[in-house]
Amino acid sequence: MWTKIKTWLDVRIGLDDIIQTKIIDYRIPKNINIFYTLGFLAVIAYAVQALTGIILLIYYIPHPDHAFRSVQDIMTKVPYGWLFRQMHVVGSNLMITVAVLHMITVFLMGNYKRPRELTWLGGGLSLLLTITFGFSGYLLPWTQLSYWATTVVTSMPTAFPLIGEPIAQVLRGGDHVTEITLSRFFALHVAILPPLFLAFMGIHLFLINRIGISATPFGIADEEKRPLTEYKRKIHADGYPYYPVFFQKQMYMMMAYLAVMFFIITFLPNLFFPEEANIPADPFKTPAQIRPAWYLLAPYQLLKLIPNKFFGITIQAVLVALFLVWPFVDTYREKNVLKRPVLRGVFIFLLVMWVVLLFWGRNS
Amino acid sequence: MRYLLLSLTILFTLPSMSMAGYREEFEKEFMTKPWAGAQVEENACISCHASDQMKPEFKEIVDAWQASWHAQNKISCEDCHGGDPKDATLAMSRQRGFLGSPQYKDVPEFCGKCHVGILASYLESGHGKALKAGKKAPNCVTCHGSHNIQKANIDIISEQLCTKCHSYERAKIMKVTLFLVEKKAAQLEQSIQELRQEGIYPEDDEKSLFSTQAAFRTLFHTVDVNLVRSRTDEFTSKLDQIDKNVQAMLQDLRSRKNFSAFLMLAFSGMGIIIFLLSTTKKD
Amino acid sequence: MKRRRFLKIVLAFLASITLLSFVYSLLKFLVALPARTAETKKLIIRKNEIPSGDAKDIIFRNTPAVIINRPDKGFIALSRVCTHLGCLVEYNPVKQRLICPCHAGNFDLEGNVLAGPPPKPLTVIPLRIDGENIVIG
Repeated sequence: MWTKIKTWLDVRIGLDDIIQTKIIDYRIPKNINIFYTLGFLAVIAYAVQALTGIILLIYYIPHPDHAFRSVQDIMTKVPYGWLFRQMHVVGSNLMITVAVLHMITVFLMGNYKRPRELTWLGGGLSLLLTITFGFSGYLLPWTQLSYWATTVVTSMPTAFPLIGEPIAQVLRGGDHVTEITLSRFFALHVAILPPLFLAFMGIHLFLINRIGISATPFGIADEEKRPLTEYKRKIHADGYPYYPVFFQKQMYMMMAYLAVMFFIITFLPNLFFPEEANIPADPFKTPAQIRPAWYLLAPYQLLKLIPNKFFGITIQAVLVALFLVWPFVDTYREKNVLKRPVLRGVFIFLLVMWVVLLFWGRNS
Repeated sequence: MRYLLLSLTILFTLPSMSMAGYREEFEKEFMTKPWAGAQVEENACISCHASDQMKPEFKEIVDAWQASWHAQNKISCEDCHGGDPKDATLAMSRQRGFLGSPQYKDVPEFCGKCHVGILASYLESGHGKALKAGKKAPNCVTCHGSHNIQKANIDIISEQLCTKCHSYERAKIMKVTLFLVEKKAAQLEQSIQELRQEGIYPEDDEKSLFSTQAAFRTLFHTVDVNLVRSRTDEFTSKLDQIDKNVQAMLQDLRSRKNFSAFLMLAFSGMGIIIFLLSTTKKD
Repeated sequence: MKRRRFLKIVLAFLASITLLSFVYSLLKFLVALPARTAETKKLIIRKNEIPSGDAKDIIFRNTPAVIINRPDKGFIALSRVCTHLGCLVEYNPVKQRLICPCHAGNFDLEGNVLAGPPPKPLTVIPLRIDGENIVIG
């Protein structure tokens, strides 16, 4: 039965040829490690978010008078509504985690270097889009947590002189978070960001495929020291076939991801729901402790700490810009981060600082 | 390339840092907002009454009020006494509706400005009728205090309080009559808290509980034991209905755990099997 | 390779039950909720039961409500649940208002808040006049 279908397709689109060239003959470097699956995980995470998001869209009502109740109805009245909502909430945090881990491992393996600068740029922009997804989605349930955390986050751009206030006004659609903000963020979250994200993801994946998978600098010495005067796709003639070796790795990492997601849903269902996340938004009553979501805590804390606010936000803008264009700045040929103590040191320092600021922001 | 980037950064950063005006703007927008720090309240009543120049018995009022349930719910001086908390010179003027403190016999109407239902029950009661007839009788302040008013609870009915005018016998009977309904309501409140901690906001049931308990307590103020006894069943059945809903939700929460645990095990199982099935690099 | 074959079968089994659980939950999610059918029940009151200026307390779908025959604007059905903390408001024909006995929230006969702590207006319950009857819901 299967063979009949396959033959039918093969006659029309050359299925066998596709399978042979793109899957079986696609070779991956011998020293590939598990971290290479993180990018695939990020795509799977996005797929889960998109699917659960579309499902939630069926019952969610994006107006302040109905938003909270519609989410409560999804959680209590709609059969299995709780399942899809929990998957969406837990998934959003897991997706950001996976994306950040992917970025860290790519950085540490030096896989952003020439000729892969554009790939890194595309990935960095995707990470920023993911965080934007996170903070626009945060407002949608219209709870005390949503409302006030959004108030705080949309006020952060006011640290920029001149353009700061207009930016905050455009984000919020006014002086305060209102139904205009909700509509705006809903449009952003549901209609503007998904095609943008898919576009960047598409470019990112195309580049990876076109340029070829890079080998890690650990283990065997992989040379990309040829003078880059012409395009040459990176192939690994003595590598493993993508299917089944790498495909299997991707599959069980995907299972691990979903297992972690359901572990959190089963045993820690309130991990992302502090008390204020279950109370409807009240513009006149500020909760005692409001903070942005964990992935925005470090910038928030930094802004609170640095006495000169403008300097605080510039430092962050500069760091983000630097991180995006890093491959253009770091043109040193050596890929192996173990041989570059300064870079390693600075990077680890920044990472530790980010975590410290995160916990500081959480507890202050 | 990198020098270009570096010079652009410096070009952007330095002149912008020289702009001082934005700092105040940012501080105003960000650092002094209520959510960024402590809330500052301007209240002329409190500024005077809490100051050291005030008579000690008036000064105590502020502390007493601060500890009260009214204060927790943002009910302050002007809500009961009138006047203008924003204007120190006119704070206590008749022009701004200042009422002063009520006479003993006028206290029920004073509190009854808001607590309408309770006033109505009280006026029908032996206590209310005695007060209006000029005899010795309790008013609201006798049992609830004047400024340090706490959430009502059944233990306000006490030997110490009620024996000021008569024997404790009838008060005891009333307390026993109230006991079961109050206990059930307290249990329900507990269960609803549990639900809220699990992320469910049972608005309808919470409102129903409040309404039922408020109606029951309003009824109590008639201090008519027979009346309360005859209507206890009505209240108990309403509470039972709420209890049914709340228990159903708690049950639902438990079954959800089972479902998601099953999915977690399924995914971990599949992960393990794929791992076992995987061809090692040596194959 | 009997072990591999066994593992593959178990994998296929697990994958299908997982997929089935998701499909099942999605289907239940999408299908009309049983509560919705209960909501199509309507309540019918005769017009002459409520003289002008008077009101009648009813229970509609588990919510206590009141139908008022306003002298100027005709019938209206409002939820009696006060939007402050949930006490049941009472119709006061003298003041032509709805007053909450708990904290004196005052509502006009359209449900709008006139005074007191309630944050939102009373929920209006749709009704229509059908000849001699008032149909609520």
